[in-house]
Amino acid sequence: MKFSKKLTMATIATLALVGTAACSKSGSNSSSSSSEKIPSKITKQTTVVFWNAMPGVQGSTLRQLTNEFEKKNPKITIKLENQGTYNDLQAKINSTLQSPNNLPTITQAYPGWLWNAAQNKMLVDLTPYINNKNVGWGSAKASDIRSELLDGAKIKGTQYGIPFNKSIETLTYNKTMFKKYGIKKVPTTMEELKDVSETIYKKSNHKVVGAGFDSLSNYYTLGMKDEGVNFSDKINFTGATSKKVINFYADGIKKGYFRTAGSEHYLSGPFANEKVAMFVGTSAGEGFVKQGVGDKFTYDVAPRPGKYTLQQGTDIYMFNHASADQKAAAFKYIKFLVSKSSQIKWANATGYIPVNNAAIKSSEYKNNKSIKLPAKLEDAMKYLYSVPVAKNSNAAFQQLNTIQQNIYAAAQKGQNINSQIEAGKQKFDAAWKQ
Amino acid sequence: MKTNQKKAWLFLAPTIIFVTFFSIYPILRAFVMSFQSGSLINMNWTGFSNYQYIFNDPEFLRAIKNTILYALISVPVALAISIMLAWFIFSRVKHKSFFETTFFMPYVTSTIAIGIVFRYIFNGEYGMLNFLLRALHLPAPNWIDDPAMSLTTIIIFGVWTSLAFNIVILMGALRNIDPNYYTIADMYGASGTEKFWRITMPQLVPTIAFLLTMNIIAAFKIYTSVYALFNGQAGVGNSATTAVFYIYNKFQIVGTPGVAMAATVVLFIIIMFVTFLQRKMMKKIGGR
Repeated sequence: MKFSKKLTMATIATLALVGTAACSKSGSNSSSSSSEKIPSKITKQTTVVFWNAMPGVQGSTLRQLTNEFEKKNPKITIKLENQGTYNDLQAKINSTLQSPNNLPTITQAYPGWLWNAAQNKMLVDLTPYINNKNVGWGSAKASDIRSELLDGAKIKGTQYGIPFNKSIETLTYNKTMFKKYGIKKVPTTMEELKDVSETIYKKSNHKVVGAGFDSLSNYYTLGMKDEGVNFSDKINFTGATSKKVINFYADGIKKGYFRTAGSEHYLSGPFANEKVAMFVGTSAGEGFVKQGVGDKFTYDVAPRPGKYTLQQGTDIYMFNHASADQKAAAFKYIKFLVSKSSQIKWANATGYIPVNNAAIKSSEYKNNKSIKLPAKLEDAMKYLYSVPVAKNSNAAFQQLNTIQQNIYAAAQKGQNINSQIEAGKQKFDAAWKQ
Repeated sequence: MKTNQKKAWLFLAPTIIFVTFFSIYPILRAFVMSFQSGSLINMNWTGFSNYQYIFNDPEFLRAIKNTILYALISVPVALAISIMLAWFIFSRVKHKSFFETTFFMPYVTSTIAIGIVFRYIFNGEYGMLNFLLRALHLPAPNWIDDPAMSLTTIIIFGVWTSLAFNIVILMGALRNIDPNYYTIADMYGASGTEKFWRITMPQLVPTIAFLLTMNIIAAFKIYTSVYALFNGQAGVGNSATTAVFYIYNKFQIVGTPGVAMAATVVLFIIIMFVTFLQRKMMKKIGGR
């Protein structure tokens, strides 16, 4: 019968589909990278797939840079595939890891997302590529990429990533308001931040909150780092140092001169509406600040108060399943993206920081008048810190945000925060142990 | 007879294959994975440790508590309001179709879009709701940014969104009641309340049973409205976290699929149990 034939075909097709899905699980780790020879030239037409999460201006600038690269290297095609937000990208990578053939050649990622992939040897160690004279620079030093940023793209000591779109935390403040309330010095320490915030809160008759921090995870991690404690599972959340860091913020919230971003996630909105005089947030958000503030007042950017600032943003990682040609082509592309001229274009358009020293020091970047960051950048990134990559460190870092939201919400209502800190310890420790 | 049966299998085959591979297989896989640990790429057996983990995780217990509270409060309240509104529209309002359309509108609008609008309505500082409450000299809580209020906010939102579907289905059921019942009741001088409790309600029982089952299952799977209302997060300090939120987070973000699947199995059992109870209860009421 004709119909039954069709049905059988459909059945076989479905079975085959399921079959391949099941097989792909066992087909991983087919190639090992370290022994592979790096081709010195791309002679065949090669396609590189690049997963990213760059919206708006960031996405269009990436497209421009890519077009430029393809023009210079006609044998290489770069397929940019936008996966949505960072969370979406992370989820997509996580679920695709079980069928490695569907992974892209390269992807944007935080090192913490790829801990499991590195454990299972699914990533390419990029050191041979960096040291290769044809596709790379010959050595890490010759790349001129800032060494803290390179170190931040390591997983368990291996250089799996190359930093690309990096940002740091900076202090954004309302210059007009500072003048109005007679504040001459921009705070450089946390104590000064507190004093200035208190003064503004008082002088504005409690109308304007002094300051706030966009990311509570960053606040805690850097607060501890400034006290000499690194981020790890050894942190005692109910210990004296930890409580000191938490209470500093909580006291401010209780008294009204500090606030959190709450469900809006960012303080750039309240800042633009003159509800908060200054805030600590990512430098990549300057575009939003500029747009929100408009002509209402003048704002400026300063180094984050305290010694350390956090380097954030993603690196580019390469997956192991690709062919030797694809890997070499992909690395050439990465090299192009982090070159001086690309980084200047990138940083000027997006507010990300250039990853190499030459770009940071270049006059084209420093004299960029359309955003405030470039002039202050060298000072702002003297002491960079990045969240150490370990099993579950990413989960614990994100958990810090929820824990502190609960603590500061209690502080806001004038309640005792100790029980929330106790509950926080339980959650923090549980996050490390899953 | 025999040939007939063979043919039936043939026609059923596409559905059977799809259901097997896309519904039954995932359920079994989830069940198997709940006894494994590690990342998706290399999973190994751990016995019951995932179950141990979730039952010791305050976050999971909170998620289940929130989900159950949400289901137990929002579903009956929404249903009661829907019956009231449907009866009101049915019995006393002219231009029924206009009101029916109005009430159905939320159902065809995306939950994300509605959630974003509600986020502004509920805003503690400049929201419309608090503006009204203040005008009436009532307390104006911080609906979105106060962890203690999150669940209440979600319940209000949940009640509002489920009205649309309920009312339309109930209107259909009300129209199907034989008008002769009411005519005869009028002849014997029955009052409005008597007519409602003696005629309308018993006739509505099958529909209400259906709505209750659908609503409860949907309530246990709540995710989108929380996501939209709290800007992609489960409320400030995860105060409005729900079972599905927990599962998604553990699977996709934290990268512990075993734990996520253990939570899935628990949720599956809870929903099955509640549905079973409900059916029994409804059979008792309906079979009176």
